[in-house]
Amino acid sequence: MRFHGLCGAAALTLALSSGAFAQQANLDLVEPVAEYKLYVSEQVSKLVMDTTAFTAAVKAGDVAKAKALFAPTRLSYEAIEPIAELFSDLDAAIDSRADDYENGEANPEFPGFHRIEYGLWEKNSTDGLAPVADKLLADVKELDSRIAALTFPPEKVVGGAAVLMEEVAATKISGEEDRYSHTDLWDFRGNFDGARKIVDLVRPLIAKKEAKFLKTVDANFAQVDGILSKYKKGDGYVTYDKLTEADRKVLATAVNTLAEDLSTLRGKLGLD
Amino acid sequence: MSSPESQRADGPSRLIVPAVVCAGLLAVAGGVAFYYASQTANRPVEAGIVTVTVGDKACDPMAITVPAGRSVFEIRNISNRPIEWEILDGVMVLDERENIAPGFKSQLATRLKPGVYDITCGLLSNPRGQLTVTASAHSEAERARPPLKAFIGPLSEYKVYLTLQSGELARRTASLAAAIDAGDLEAARAAYAEARLSYRHIETVSGRIADLENVIDPVAAYLAGRENDPGFVGFHRIEYGLWGTGGTDGLKPVANKLAADASALKSRLRALKLEPVDLAGSAVREAQRLADGPIISGEGLYSGNDLAEFAAAVDGLEKPVSLMMPLVGEASPTTAKSIADAFAATRAKIARFAAADARKRYADLPADERKALAASFTTLAQAISKVNATLGME
Repeated sequence: MRFHGLCGAAALTLALSSGAFAQQANLDLVEPVAEYKLYVSEQVSKLVMDTTAFTAAVKAGDVAKAKALFAPTRLSYEAIEPIAELFSDLDAAIDSRADDYENGEANPEFPGFHRIEYGLWEKNSTDGLAPVADKLLADVKELDSRIAALTFPPEKVVGGAAVLMEEVAATKISGEEDRYSHTDLWDFRGNFDGARKIVDLVRPLIAKKEAKFLKTVDANFAQVDGILSKYKKGDGYVTYDKLTEADRKVLATAVNTLAEDLSTLRGKLGLD
Repeated sequence: MSSPESQRADGPSRLIVPAVVCAGLLAVAGGVAFYYASQTANRPVEAGIVTVTVGDKACDPMAITVPAGRSVFEIRNISNRPIEWEILDGVMVLDERENIAPGFKSQLATRLKPGVYDITCGLLSNPRGQLTVTASAHSEAERARPPLKAFIGPLSEYKVYLTLQSGELARRTASLAAAIDAGDLEAARAAYAEARLSYRHIETVSGRIADLENVIDPVAAYLAGRENDPGFVGFHRIEYGLWGTGGTDGLKPVANKLAADASALKSRLRALKLEPVDLAGSAVREAQRLADGPIISGEGLYSGNDLAEFAAAVDGLEKPVSLMMPLVGEASPTTAKSIADAFAATRAKIARFAAADARKRYADLPADERKALAASFTTLAQAISKVNATLGME
């Protein structure tokens, strides 16, 4: 049985051998993956710093300050999501939504950023949030040390560009993620920056062979960037409800195209 | 432990016979046949699409078995809320599909190694299902000879380590130069000791960048004019001043030059391209070099800080090797264990000397004790030297 199977497979491949072989991953990926880890390390250091200030405001009962720090703090988390969400326990603890829990917001297990967001915006209060804040800070610090110890899987790094744009398509365009604060455009910016960073890092490896692909991707990035910039306010962004229907549609199209195009990046680099 | 081990030992010999017969038959058909036969005898098996239906309380089925390699899962969400479906190895997500809306389905294509994993089934509080990935001829072959792709992560991670540690070295040598400039002997001595630890962390690789090594770390014993030789610069020249002649006088230009050389080293390491064989290869060379020279002669001749430096050197040896250990552990648990044991034994020996001779200078340790420590580094070098062959790279 085994004998026939092996011979069959070998003969079949022999017959097909004139065709093109799939692209094989090579060591040119070492540099971009290393640079990406350095980028993620910087972002997570910033996340720890920002979360320290954010949770201190929550614990001090300063609702206005906590609200002001919520979205900017999340920005660096959203930028590194392809790596952060590799740790299922921490991702759930830091960034899960009420939908992940029976009885939603009423479930005392509902933790992390969105639990605090719910308290700050829906109840305009920090009541009962001190332990949630302590836990969030501890989890973010744990994320920092786990990332430091992690060897980044190259397919997660390269695949991360598409993951981030899919994330935008599924949770930001709909206004699902930051449903209480409507600060989705900040998270959108984080996801967007994270995706563009990955493309920029692998760009030298595909610049020649995939010039047309990169041109399309760059054009869509530029379009999204342009629309996002229209909604800038101070250091950040206006609330999601200010987005016009026309811009939302253009964003949706560009983001979906990007998600689809970037999903081929792994294959182009031999990582499928 | 013993039964999977013996199965593995059987694996290759069972495969040799058909592969050889196969190759022989195909060679008749054409000159290139042998090459392709050997390349494809262990081709991955591709499973059909595996359907997983996620309801309000559980997955259907709750237990799935697929062969190692690429699998395609189709996840159907028949629950009443959006779900993400994850394949988990402990807390680590191996792969996932996010945001599958109620009533929708989504496909996930992924490559899996043999093992038993969890799958998530909707709400975080729902029980998890089990995914068993069984070994295939292809996965067994990759265990003994991992594909090039398997080394991208380890090489990248080592590059990150070298970048961060050489950044630290550049900062610490700059602090050393500042303390010397300020004429602060105590601060200079402390900064020197710190900077040496960073240097030890990267010496596994930086020791091979000869031009910089010769200006950063030359020792007097190798110079014709010893301490008076104009080539006596870098770390040990500063050490000689700070401990030997007890002052910071005249060290300013030497310290500034050292800081500049450390910055140059950082750029050089950032541009360095390493191959998979270099991770273990560099560690073997450095462990043996330490055993042959510095451990016997001592290297902190003036500061007497040798043991702390040797402990840092072990950290520097262990980093690149540790990155290969998951692969080595899969290919040969015995080799992995002998390497782990050799590291533990070397560390224990250093710790014992450090505890027993806290006030003693390393140079005053009896020669046979230094020899015993050197022997430990030689054993370590020998254990690490098995890595490349274990992974089919020799």
